[in-house]
Amino acid sequence: MAIKVGIPRGLFYYRYYPLWKTFLEELGADVVLSDHTNKRILDEGVKSCVDEACLPVKVFHGHVLNLKDRVDYLFIPRLTSISKDEYICPKIGGIPDMVKNTIKGLPQIIDTEINVRRSHKNMWKAVMEIGSYFSDNKFQIRKAYNKAQKVQDMYDGAVRKGRLPSDILNSFQGDNTNFSLIRMDENPDRMDVSLNRADVNPNRNDVRANHGSMQRGQSLLNILVIGHPYNLYDSYINMDLVKKLRNNGVNLITVDMQDESTINKKASFLNKPMFWNFGRLAIGTAMHMLEKGNIDGIIYLMSFGCGVDSFVCDLTEKRVKRMSTIPFIVLTIDEHSGEAGMNTRVEAFIDMIRWRKKDESNISALR
Amino acid sequence: MREQQYYLGIDVGSVSTNLVLIDDSEQIVDKIYLRTEGQPINALRNGLKDMASRVGEGIKIKGVGTTGSGRQLASVIVGADCVKNEITAHAVAAQKLIPDVRTILEIGGQDSKIIILRNGVVYDFAMNTVCAAGTGSFLDRQASRLSIPISEFGQYALRAKSTVRIAGRCAVFAESDMIHKQQTGHSLEDIINGLCEALVRNYLNNLAKGKDIQDVVVFQGGVAANVGIVAAFERALNKKIVIPKYFDVMGAYGAALLAREKMQKEGGNTNFYGFNITENEYKAKSIECQGCSNSCEVIEILSNNSVLARWGDKCGKWSEQISHAVNV
Repeated sequence: MAIKVGIPRGLFYYRYYPLWKTFLEELGADVVLSDHTNKRILDEGVKSCVDEACLPVKVFHGHVLNLKDRVDYLFIPRLTSISKDEYICPKIGGIPDMVKNTIKGLPQIIDTEINVRRSHKNMWKAVMEIGSYFSDNKFQIRKAYNKAQKVQDMYDGAVRKGRLPSDILNSFQGDNTNFSLIRMDENPDRMDVSLNRADVNPNRNDVRANHGSMQRGQSLLNILVIGHPYNLYDSYINMDLVKKLRNNGVNLITVDMQDESTINKKASFLNKPMFWNFGRLAIGTAMHMLEKGNIDGIIYLMSFGCGVDSFVCDLTEKRVKRMSTIPFIVLTIDEHSGEAGMNTRVEAFIDMIRWRKKDESNISALR
Repeated sequence: MREQQYYLGIDVGSVSTNLVLIDDSEQIVDKIYLRTEGQPINALRNGLKDMASRVGEGIKIKGVGTTGSGRQLASVIVGADCVKNEITAHAVAAQKLIPDVRTILEIGGQDSKIIILRNGVVYDFAMNTVCAAGTGSFLDRQASRLSIPISEFGQYALRAKSTVRIAGRCAVFAESDMIHKQQTGHSLEDIINGLCEALVRNYLNNLAKGKDIQDVVVFQGGVAANVGIVAAFERALNKKIVIPKYFDVMGAYGAALLAREKMQKEGGNTNFYGFNITENEYKAKSIECQGCSNSCEVIEILSNNSVLARWGDKCGKWSEQISHAVNV
């Protein structure tokens, strides 16, 4: 019987699931995914995790609990660094330890460190170590990883073309997960790509059809939503922000859709390199979008108590305000399940953008 | 003479439920400020009943607008034509009363906001984050802890003789700081003044950070009744603060204006069910759906045993059975 490896549907799942899943499966493992985040996962995560952690870390604990009794291994690599000279965040780097020390009765955890801060060659060391749980054949491990990387590249390519990672991952239900279905030249109608293309023509009917309660005569707004993938693509954590925005006629643009070399160029104005991976991506994307000049607003989604966001958000906001008059709002999420606060902020933000646009074209200030 | 037509604005907030009736020339004919006391449906019914008895049930309502955190609920019960968020409603109302306004400070029961207007358009705004420190509900709590009627709270601050620093970042910190100061013998007046200053400091630090506060500065929302806070704002900003005549019902006034605007533009008949809805029994029932592990908390609004609306489910299993879908 195949070895069952559990992947918690939290944190870097949204970024690397195609890679991890393909790699493990190529080595003969059965990959088991935890359920979508739900109330029980949240409650149990909050109960077991240390109090001071951020919401996504707590939720991750819930996903571990959801999986622990139905798998042989848990795949929780220690993500120290995924980019040269940068770290991710101390909590994510310490997640295998936090999980091990707070949850009892766990299966064995594959907690290989991934640290490419000094060199990308270290990746191969990690790959070989993970592979060794399933195979002694180095050639087979290498081959499996190369295939996985190809699948990940396809996924990344589709995201870069404007598809939301959550749309892609959620379109593969149950056992029917075949990532080779993701192609860059995907037929837009079938795969809903049109929903999230920045350059989409607002008058196209197929786009309009996807925005149910949009009022007639309203144009699509392009809004850059900056947020960690685990907050932005987990509809439970963020109280369905993506759907709320789409219902209000918003075309979402995210950090993950940008080309990294462009981001790096734009982020290089900072007088010293950003210490955090997400910090560089966030600020580089914001600068890039400002220069392109085709966005109507910026939403910064952060979880309460996030150390990285606490200053990256501030830095981004200050830069945006200095360089432009583009509306900027911070949405903070924590354990709240009452949606009124989130709804009010989103609705008021969209209202303001539309109102300002009307003013610019001198129609009517008061709707 | 043509029959006078009226528009009703309703603001169901966390601490107060307000109703405003305007006539066709946007003048306020009647206003009601009620405490929500955790029961928005009751407050709304009482408000409507009061209003009907004062202006007469027979008046012609042409349109109804709702706002506030309970705007969906209110909309379902009264039949609203226009459901708008508080930022937009407050901005519209302030501009109507004080056309030159460029900055709106608004502190309500659960939320505090700053709205920046330029050329008569909302240009920027900020709201407090996940926590409600420094808002009306916290002042309420402190007033009741000290057994001072909230209406006199601000007067105490004005009688302060010396400055006492109270931690303002978090309501829990502020409360423990207040108690510590009180136990070391500081006068109540000084402590209350310290609290007002702490709230203003916190507000300016959190919400107004980086924003250009230009004259005319208008302060509205229930907390604007607190003269201690007003004085603290004037000291901190070194600006004159304007309190509009109807400062405590500005959200409702804005909702009424928005309803009028919408009905005049689009025409048609109002969705308003009429003042006699106060005779109906309303019940809100909460069910925890067992359909999946989300265990959504579904709310059902019932009137005389028929379901008016449902919301709170993520999948739409409950809400989609009802014609009155409540969307963001």
